[in-house]
Amino acid sequence: MTTKTALVAAAVATLVATGLAACGSSSNGGGGAKGGGTLTIQGDAGNPTLVENFNPFVAATELHGGYLMYEPLEFRSPVDGTFTPFLATGHKFTDPKTLDFTIRQNVKWSDGQPFTAADVVFTFNLIKKYPALDGNGVWAQITGVATSGNDVTVTFKAPNVPFAGVVAKTPIVPEHLWSSVPDPTKFTNTKPVGTGPFTLDKFAPTQYSLKKNPTYWQAAKIAPSEVLFPAQSSNQATNQLDVSSGKFDWSYNFLPNVQKTYVSRSKTNIYWFPPGGVITLYLNLTKAPYNDANFRKGISLALDRTTIAQKAVNGYLDAASQSGLILPNLKKWLDPSLPDQGVVKPDPAAAQAAFAQAGYTMQGGKLVKDGKQASMSIVMPNNFTDWVAAAKEVSTQLGQVGIKASLDLPQFPQYQSSIQAGTFDAAIGGFGGTGDPYTDFNNALNSSFAAPVKTATANNFERFKDPTVDQALATLAAATDPEAQQQATHTLEQVMYKQVPAVLMYYGGSWGLFSTKNFTGWPSADNPYTLPTSYDGSLLLVVTRLTKA
Amino acid sequence: MTIITAVPPPEAPGALADVPIRPSRVPGPLLFVGRAVRTLWSNSKARIGIVLLGVIALIAIFAPLIAPHSPTATTFTPYLNPTGQNWFGTTGNGQDVFSQMVYGARVSLLVGLAAGILATVVAVTIGLIAGYRPGVIDEVLSFVTNLTLVIPGIPLMIILAAYIQSRSIWTIVLVVAFTSWATGARVIRSQATTLRTREFVTSAVFSGERLFRIVFREILPNMTSLVAASFFSAATAAVMAEASLEFLGLGSPDTVSWGTILYAAQQQNALLTGQWLLILAPGLAIALLATSFTLINFGVDALSNPRLREK
Amino acid sequence: MPYLLRKGVLFVVTLWAAITLNFILPRLMPGSPEDAALGKLASAGVPITNAERHAVEIQLGVPHTNVFTQYWDYLKNIVQFKFGHSYSFPSETVAHTIGKALPWTLVLVGATTVFAFVVGTLLGVFAGWRRGKAADTTVTLGATFFAAFPPFWLGLLLLYFLAYKNGWFPIKGGYAEGATPNWSPSFLADAFKHSVLPALTLAVTTLSGWVFGMRNNMINTLGEDYVTFAEANGLRTRTVALLYAARNALLPNVTAFGLSLGAVVGGSVLVEGVFSYPGLGNLLYIAVTNHDFPLMQALFLVITVSMLVAIFVVDLLYARLDPRVRRA
Repeated sequence: MTTKTALVAAAVATLVATGLAACGSSSNGGGGAKGGGTLTIQGDAGNPTLVENFNPFVAATELHGGYLMYEPLEFRSPVDGTFTPFLATGHKFTDPKTLDFTIRQNVKWSDGQPFTAADVVFTFNLIKKYPALDGNGVWAQITGVATSGNDVTVTFKAPNVPFAGVVAKTPIVPEHLWSSVPDPTKFTNTKPVGTGPFTLDKFAPTQYSLKKNPTYWQAAKIAPSEVLFPAQSSNQATNQLDVSSGKFDWSYNFLPNVQKTYVSRSKTNIYWFPPGGVITLYLNLTKAPYNDANFRKGISLALDRTTIAQKAVNGYLDAASQSGLILPNLKKWLDPSLPDQGVVKPDPAAAQAAFAQAGYTMQGGKLVKDGKQASMSIVMPNNFTDWVAAAKEVSTQLGQVGIKASLDLPQFPQYQSSIQAGTFDAAIGGFGGTGDPYTDFNNALNSSFAAPVKTATANNFERFKDPTVDQALATLAAATDPEAQQQATHTLEQVMYKQVPAVLMYYGGSWGLFSTKNFTGWPSADNPYTLPTSYDGSLLLVVTRLTKA
Repeated sequence: MTIITAVPPPEAPGALADVPIRPSRVPGPLLFVGRAVRTLWSNSKARIGIVLLGVIALIAIFAPLIAPHSPTATTFTPYLNPTGQNWFGTTGNGQDVFSQMVYGARVSLLVGLAAGILATVVAVTIGLIAGYRPGVIDEVLSFVTNLTLVIPGIPLMIILAAYIQSRSIWTIVLVVAFTSWATGARVIRSQATTLRTREFVTSAVFSGERLFRIVFREILPNMTSLVAASFFSAATAAVMAEASLEFLGLGSPDTVSWGTILYAAQQQNALLTGQWLLILAPGLAIALLATSFTLINFGVDALSNPRLREK
Repeated sequence: MPYLLRKGVLFVVTLWAAITLNFILPRLMPGSPEDAALGKLASAGVPITNAERHAVEIQLGVPHTNVFTQYWDYLKNIVQFKFGHSYSFPSETVAHTIGKALPWTLVLVGATTVFAFVVGTLLGVFAGWRRGKAADTTVTLGATFFAAFPPFWLGLLLLYFLAYKNGWFPIKGGYAEGATPNWSPSFLADAFKHSVLPALTLAVTTLSGWVFGMRNNMINTLGEDYVTFAEANGLRTRTVALLYAARNALLPNVTAFGLSLGAVVGGSVLVEGVFSYPGLGNLLYIAVTNHDFPLMQALFLVITVSMLVAIFVVDLLYARLDPRVRRA
């Protein structure tokens, strides 16, 4: 055997030996403190690997861990709208256009500097200076932010009580660091300094980890010592397999047949699928015949929502109320004069009557006007399997009333650009889910959002325009008296029910999957303190409520 | 994607010299087919292939009688394991998988045959023209053939199918045929080149026969086994390619074929729900169909190359 | 020498043809992929500067402009590896994304081809030598059947039974989460473990090419005079088979390498997607499901060119191994 052959043989042998050794070692390499206290949350999607970006203002690129490092003033529950204080201990409207936040004392930034009201004012002025950072459109509603002692005062352009929740959820950043950032819109913030319960520990291409911040103002309440965020694969099926194999303490994934695929796999697996929004058939109101309320009513009356829900989410969730309220969460706002709590039952005769009012008649199994059959193309992201299943059922049901419906299934970015630009025909989308009726209705119906076709808009992409509805929204925004708020909310519910700006179908689930092996205190039906979404502000609230198992 | 069959590479001219030369009269087609099948039947591998193909063809033809339910009706409970009513279980949309498998045989078989025929027609045309007409035409066609051979098939198919926005079954047939004609063309060109210089062809040219007659009456009948081999190779590749394209979601959303069953199973995560049968069954069916074509091809090769015949 | 020159010229011409094909294809297809691409890039957050717009148009086609200018710009971009951005991965350039994935595919494809070559060739020798007997039939039928497996199907089955159900192998990825690629033995071992299932899937489905090629060559070679002569001289059949027949039959098999490589590369597109293995195949899988034309274009080019280079290298090796060829 020559020396060269010997060397090659040695190399191969080493490789095989280490390979065999690795087979015996644990499969979760790199990171992970030994001995409990590690919270593993299903992480962000890779791009193709994780891109390190913890800029809390640009939601599209921020890694989810940022929500555990930066805190808002207060967090409003998307379930029922109750506030949990964080950097502010409370808020109140001193007059209809002035909102006062009391700032928490003795809070430190993770680099040791003290947190003060000045940081709050700086943050709001920062997002005013750089509108690209104002993702929630705060400065469209307020005129100024100022300190007065330990308080921060926000002045509004017009009375808007519900908007306090949006103002409150702005993440606060340290003035002493961000004031020297040349361009905050491009700042990736790879060494984040926040007031939150965790700080960045390690960053690797497919996983990042956070470690507990010992100087956090409620550090005693925080159970995990470390939080791991392993990245998701672009293969959705593989992600579901990962979830089912018990890799995470908390994950967010639609799983079919959750009893069989998750709960039965381990005694400590639990789930909670509350309604997080309403899955809705949006019709492009700039196009005929969708601009005719009668046509829309016909579609609403033709659909069997219970069957759609059954096909889409296997009975996890029910048919939705056309009032626009998520029930039973927001039951207290429901207009009692709406029949069946606003849930529209299928009525073929009434549907035909409505179509007739719009000029359409049934001819040979087709719904026809001026010789042309009614047809629609429904767009949705191809990997939202429950939306696709719902749309297939909608297409079948519409076919039975003579409308030819086809499905368009691009990837999510294409879907999003299509609906935001208003170039779609019909689309499946989400409605509501903020926990506050005004915000839900405003996002969907306020004509100020209805940009012309080909100009992108995130809200009211169906382009609904009605000045009386705008007026009703303004009334609700200004109402401080509970009775007035109820009245104004009922008015908007009636608009949803009678004018059918969008056809609400079934409640979309918020797919919370948990393990009680390491931690308990997860949100549940008995304790619905927030939605189980692991990709937004709920992260912070949930983690502060966890206790060791 | 080409599968290397038992046909020896054209660089070994000795093998091709054994092709038996028939007289110019082409025998009646039915007699011809009958004789071919009988010869194939004597080859044990081809026999298995013919039986397999026959079974699949019967299932496809009698699908409405065999399938207990409609393949597209979403009337059942979703995600079921095999039950008395749904022998293979149900999909995430509540469709009966067994019925889908039965009806799927039609599409998979049709696409395999159609793409195979189309690819063979192209291969024969190009191969004959290149082989019979030396010079610039031959050089150009040979270059195009070699280029198509070298460019990786699946990526090319994917690009083509993705660019062609319309999603119909004919898109798949076209795309698959476009990428699988090259192997056959090369073999046929070689054979045509060899035959071109034979005496019976020269005498036909001198006696003034038109080009068309020479090519189709003199040369082609002496290549039937090569053409058949080319067809079966192309059909094998077509079945596999169709499955691959559909698995990637480039198939037609309205068709039910074995490939789309696999696509749906992956989208609805049959592995997660423990419905591994939804993965096993269509894949196995595809493998059996492709195998049957290849096995028949063994018999065809044995026809043309006595050295490969079984003793 | 003429052989090398001939092969060299062929390589350059085929390379040019492949690059040009990649230029022509999007311009032939219906619709306007460049508009779609620009729209999607914008919504993915990639800033549409004039340079970006120009890059997309060169790649995918601009109506009403001189196609030759476009072609020249296209060639210039290729040489500088400027492929623009993709909307599946907007945070980095396409060249960067492909660059990270390329080594993984090279290793997977390389290891698989070597493994399939070795095992397939040995089986082919065995089958050709024992021609007509039960062993031959088993190998032949077995190889035919395995070749008919759709690669992604076998991959899914292996994933389910060996990774998901039993946990013997990882479900996804090229390496464990939390690890950063480096040259340490523990990382290499981890990467090896992650590559076993994808490699096994690809190898099993591409074996047959080698088996049949070798078997046929064995059959032809065993009929040659010098083999009969060696046997007549009293050499044992096994000696004859391995020392003489197999070695000489091996040489033409090397040219089948090109076709086999095509099968492995094609199969890797499907198999990498199933295992989320971070190679070029996985990128193409993502690009297809995303209708991501810039990424698809670049990947097709990279894959095709890599294959051409590999085949050319093998042709050169062939010239070294077989003296007869050099004089041809």
